[in-house]
Amino acid sequence: MQKVCFIVGEDSFEKFMMSGILGTTGAALDTEMHFFFTFFGLNLLKKSFRPKVAGMPFPMKRMAAGMFKAKMKKYGVEDMWGLIKDAVQDGKMKLYPCEMTMSLMGIKREQMWEFVEDPVGAASFLEMAEGARIVSL
Amino acid sequence: MADVTLNALGKKCPMPILLTKKELNKMSSGQTLELIVDDKGALKDIPAMVNTTGNELVSTNESDAEIRFVIKKA
Repeated sequence: MQKVCFIVGEDSFEKFMMSGILGTTGAALDTEMHFFFTFFGLNLLKKSFRPKVAGMPFPMKRMAAGMFKAKMKKYGVEDMWGLIKDAVQDGKMKLYPCEMTMSLMGIKREQMWEFVEDPVGAASFLEMAEGARIVSL
Repeated sequence: MADVTLNALGKKCPMPILLTKKELNKMSSGQTLELIVDDKGALKDIPAMVNTTGNELVSTNESDAEIRFVIKKA
């Protein structure tokens, strides 16, 4: 089976949607999609976190996320966390938080979605990525 | 006539792919699915999905308003 591994180090709305769209689509293509969340990317795994649009100028970052979401809803794109949860439960998409940066950033496992995998370290991620394509988001 | 029809009109990437895969998972081998979409991206995306998952694209019919695919489950 094909495998693609992603490193997610930022917490913008764009990076979240890119991860979600590519991850769920890859899973539908029967490809193993592994995501390694580190540094600010870890914020995306928190249930309470609402990502903002990095590409927008300062006062519009939060509003733009709402506007993009409303537009995507019109395109029939369902709630992204719901789609991701389905892909994880199908066993094709996996979300791994980075252990060391979790303590660095003060982020706890309990703050994250239940379907996130147990935290791993750099070596575990690299072992998992052996022979696979690695994409840094 | 296809065994199952999926209407994904008005839906854009990644929904046509995700909904088609969900539907195919429910079907049995040899059954056919007719998919109706109007997202032009699906013209390339659906064949890519059908190929990588080992299913068969039986036909593609494109008109101004919509694209109709018939997919046979492997």
